[in-house]
Amino acid sequence: MHSNIMKNVQHVTERKQLPENPKQLLHTIFLEIISATDVKIAKTIDDLFNDLLYGNTIFLLDGVDMVLNINTAGWEGRQIEEPITEGVIRGPREGFVENLLTNMMLVRRHIRDPNLRFDKHSIGKRSKKYMIVSYVEGIVHPELLQEIKRRLQTIDMDDAPDTGYIEEWLQDSFLSPFPQITNTERPDKVSSALLQGKVAILLDGTPFVLIAPATFGNALQSPEDYYERFVIATFIRLLRYLAAFIAIFMPALYIALLSYQPGMLPTNLTISIAAAREGVPFPPFVEAIMMVITMELLREAGARLPKTIGQTIGIVGGLVIGDAAVSAGIVSPVMVVIIALNAVASFAIPEYSLGISFRIILLGFMIAAGLLGIYGIILAYIMVNIHIVNLKSVGVPYSAPFGPFFKGDWNDLVMRAPLQTINRRPVYMQTKDDKSGNKGE
Amino acid sequence: MRPFEYSDETISEKELLIALPSMLIASGVLSLPKLLAMYTVAADGWIPLFVSGITNLIMAACVARFTMQFAGQPFYSYASKLVTRPVAWFFTMAFCGLFVAIAALEVREIADISKSYLFHRTPVEVIALSFLLVVVYAVCGSRAGILRLNLLFLPIILFIFILLLSLDIKFIEMKNLLPMFQTDMKDYMRAMPAGIGSYSWFGIIWFYIALIKKPKKLGRKVAKVMCIPIVVYLLFYVACIGVFGNMVTANMIYPVVELAKEAELPGGIFERFESVFFVVWLMAIFNTTAMAFDIAVYALNSLFRKVDKHKFVFTLAPVIFLIAFIPQNTESVRSYDSVLNYFALSFSLFLLLLFVTVQKTKGVKGNG
Repeated sequence: MHSNIMKNVQHVTERKQLPENPKQLLHTIFLEIISATDVKIAKTIDDLFNDLLYGNTIFLLDGVDMVLNINTAGWEGRQIEEPITEGVIRGPREGFVENLLTNMMLVRRHIRDPNLRFDKHSIGKRSKKYMIVSYVEGIVHPELLQEIKRRLQTIDMDDAPDTGYIEEWLQDSFLSPFPQITNTERPDKVSSALLQGKVAILLDGTPFVLIAPATFGNALQSPEDYYERFVIATFIRLLRYLAAFIAIFMPALYIALLSYQPGMLPTNLTISIAAAREGVPFPPFVEAIMMVITMELLREAGARLPKTIGQTIGIVGGLVIGDAAVSAGIVSPVMVVIIALNAVASFAIPEYSLGISFRIILLGFMIAAGLLGIYGIILAYIMVNIHIVNLKSVGVPYSAPFGPFFKGDWNDLVMRAPLQTINRRPVYMQTKDDKSGNKGE
Repeated sequence: MRPFEYSDETISEKELLIALPSMLIASGVLSLPKLLAMYTVAADGWIPLFVSGITNLIMAACVARFTMQFAGQPFYSYASKLVTRPVAWFFTMAFCGLFVAIAALEVREIADISKSYLFHRTPVEVIALSFLLVVVYAVCGSRAGILRLNLLFLPIILFIFILLLSLDIKFIEMKNLLPMFQTDMKDYMRAMPAGIGSYSWFGIIWFYIALIKKPKKLGRKVAKVMCIPIVVYLLFYVACIGVFGNMVTANMIYPVVELAKEAELPGGIFERFESVFFVVWLMAIFNTTAMAFDIAVYALNSLFRKVDKHKFVFTLAPVIFLIAFIPQNTESVRSYDSVLNYFALSFSLFLLLLFVTVQKTKGVKGNG
């Protein structure tokens, strides 16, 4: 501000002949003297409030009914770092930061299309934060965009510290455990979503960007799927579906098979499990619930602790779960194996918010198994499916393209076909321009 | 550019086409081979099964072709155009009753089979009630949702069907299947009801046609998908006879589940495959029940438009539960089943003939 405005003004007033008319004077200053970028002329006080509080400079001149609104906002911020929540082995390592302009730049760097739009909105009655709705004109379906903007307008709160606030206002069903809007820290994920006809919402002050709509299939995909060759990517995706299965069913199956249908397991296995459970005072259901809750506590404690102490939790947890509990005769070793496998599987879900919802669903499945055995599990599974087919994300069925079946989208769903064959944007997005050279990137 | 139509309460042809096999593949098939084996020699039961399958296929295709012209209209509205309003009202109520009865039958069968293969101590009522509650949850949701469930479940069901057959193929003995064509005409006729029974629930077309916007060549497509249940039934029947022989099959209550009992998964993860099989088959039965219940509610809703859908759901649920426990034993469940099937088939046939004649004489036009 100092070098661009004050110095210039002082310097010029000393030397040059300036027009006498204040109105012309202001124009001269506006056009010639101030060397800052993004200068606007404002007439009413309402135009100024928000910008002044954001850090802009207001230039007033006596005798004119106009002022200059000069963008001088600037502040210290975090450097661009690797995203913490979504790591990849191969692929871009940049993550979003708290600064909105930097984030826009990061997205823009991936898509240099003139049709990429950043619509500015203000959010929060008191905080007046900037929020950007980003999409690619010509790809996104207008109705979808309209619906998202309509919902954004209903937001009524003082402040939105994180996009999580916006997510809750936007989502279709507030009772659902499933994340109906994706959040990400990765610019490459955002840009590929934009090219698929989705809408991204960026908020000032948070590195988490929302992507709407989201589907169940999306939640089990990682950007890395497109950076590795398709055979490997397909294998990893299949592995993830297996992980999802284990994350939801494993402890419930343990309960059901041990308490209701022991005959279903091979005889030798049943005998060895029974032998291992010798001396365990609790029925399988209580045993499993105890272990799952312990596991959740460890997870939560591990997330909250500073990184240096965090490792202690690992050691303590490993000892408590792995060894001491077994030798104390509270749980059986088989249970420990199951819980460990279950925990590992739920960490393999690429989207953290889906991982959490699986943990909740898991508890439901365990209760169902405790009540009705394997019959209860399948009823619970049917219920989850009923819920999913009724769920929508900003109007798009959550189960697409499984549920409303779109054959064209199956080349990039459970498996990932070679990129050359993925030459259309997702059909379920009903994009304006459905051909893409490359859907993945 | 296409509008976001698919996310509304309309469905595409695909969903109706998947709904048909999902509706027909249900609990009936589990006991079907027994009923056929009772009257026929060796594997001759395939003839009545096939003949009735083809009959029903033609019927379903005709119904689809006829209703296609009224696509997008509820049954009650096009029926009242053809025959008068009171008559249409009566037909709708009859359909409602039919589908309530079908739902009740499925609930009962679930309870019976679970009792004999999964639980021994849990009371049947608890099993049936928990199943019914899940169905109620589904029916309370959106109608398109139920049809989408079919899309999610049918592949799993067909997968377990193929898996079961491939695991059992080594037990099939050719001598059980021969000699062929030894049954006399009278016995074929006696076996016919069992064959017809399992196919006759294609009546869902009468109602779900209302959800489709612009069907094309629906008759032919319906005929194609009707082949799926025919193949499933035939292969199950042949496998049962091939593995157990005619005599043993005739004396089993649920031969197909017994078939699963014979199968062994390589690797020995699950000792008793029949539990796995039945649990997956439960999804098939669930789909049928949910659709039947949904149509019953749909029928009532088209008569009383102002009443909330949920009210019908919660009034019909106890009715279904009570009807399910009217038959005292397996024998009476079976006769209940066959009465229902005969009614379903003849009612569809009757409606079709009536409607076509009326349309010809009165010249009522469809959507064009």
